[in-house]
Amino acid sequence: MTADARTWLRRIERLPLPHSVKIMNVCGGHERSITMAGLRKALPGNIELVPGPGCPVCICPEEDVFEAIEIALGEQVILLAFGDMLRVPVNRPKSEPRSLEQARTAGADVRPIASPTEAVRIAQENPGRAVVFFAAGFETTTAPVAAMLAEGIPDNLSVLLSGRLTWPAVAMLLDSERPGFDALVAPGHVATVMGTEQWRFVVEKHSLPTAVAGFTPQSLLAAFYSTLRQWLEGRPFLDNCYPQLARPQGNPTAQRQLHQVMEVVDANWRGIGSIPASGFALREAYAAHDARRRFPDHADPNRKRAGEMPPGCDCAQVVLGRIYPDQCRLYGKGCTPRNPIGPCMVSDEGACRIWWSGGLRENRAMAEKTR
Amino acid sequence: MCLGIPMRIAAIDGFNARCEAKGVERDVSLFMLQDESVAVGDHVMVHVGYAIQKLSQEEADSTWELLDQFLDDA
Repeated sequence: MTADARTWLRRIERLPLPHSVKIMNVCGGHERSITMAGLRKALPGNIELVPGPGCPVCICPEEDVFEAIEIALGEQVILLAFGDMLRVPVNRPKSEPRSLEQARTAGADVRPIASPTEAVRIAQENPGRAVVFFAAGFETTTAPVAAMLAEGIPDNLSVLLSGRLTWPAVAMLLDSERPGFDALVAPGHVATVMGTEQWRFVVEKHSLPTAVAGFTPQSLLAAFYSTLRQWLEGRPFLDNCYPQLARPQGNPTAQRQLHQVMEVVDANWRGIGSIPASGFALREAYAAHDARRRFPDHADPNRKRAGEMPPGCDCAQVVLGRIYPDQCRLYGKGCTPRNPIGPCMVSDEGACRIWWSGGLRENRAMAEKTR
Repeated sequence: MCLGIPMRIAAIDGFNARCEAKGVERDVSLFMLQDESVAVGDHVMVHVGYAIQKLSQEEADSTWELLDQFLDDA
């Protein structure tokens, strides 16, 4: 921990906090920094840091993963996806491919990529074949996908888009009867693209202390300190602890490209259900590059239902910040990064996976039961 | 995905930049920064192969401190 971070920590320790305060983050990158830097242990015990809906792989609807698997198997395409998506399991009999990885084992041409630019390159190198890019992600990932389409892509490349906006899930939690947190640390790179102003509703509509944070321990601790002081003084405002990158209006070029290529639509979130105006869909002008239109026979509307997590898996509760990862009945008991059952243990941005990598191996649900 | 990698621009060709970090070179798209003035020697925050914003060398260094720590832990 840097000297700067230790100074923020001492400032937080001196705050007269009376009882438990819960600060939610909605970014897998934040959760990783918090866990790896050991900030939970370093902070006073009455401060709880809750990981919320911050993992795009975890909330990617099961029907979209299913559709990608079916297109990969049924259409002889090259199916591209960010590496995290390959191991996400869907609910179907063991005899059938349950993930893109298993589809690949069954003979489908499934390839992991790290950038939309790789999708363009692979499509150019394989002009005789259809290439489908299964693009799941929040604004930080969906904006580059929009940039790729705005710049122009080969005819044989289409996109199976599963993009989501971050703030509507927070709005949904705040509108519920049980938000489960007292302050919000907003995601620094989402704000870099979309602007810090996007988070103003948390302060103005819900009077909740809010600070945009970067990813270093000092930026996160500064954001915790800011929200705690706001909370103590009863004067919530929108603070920006990542001004180096996150501007009030974000990156206007990226937003223009997003708007040009995609429209905002109601969208399903795995384990949560449908959230109004929370997803991206390709506009009519890009229909020729929409894999959902090009390969319409593989969507299964019957799979579109809320809470479709594997049996016994509490990912839905983890994603909403209702329980901590180690309170899931399966955490470390059958569900590990080697053999993940729920998406939160698959993705590098999933809270379960991050806690496990951080060395937390005890299952609190089991420990509490035996006590 | 959301962590982002700070890189230094070594060369620019249209919307494509050759970027470097820790001795590793990568092609990075500047398409999302086309309305900004971006030059060789600038640092950019890179997400899935696209530069999403410019940043100072100081901010790049402090992010790399964090990334180094993650890599050591992994």
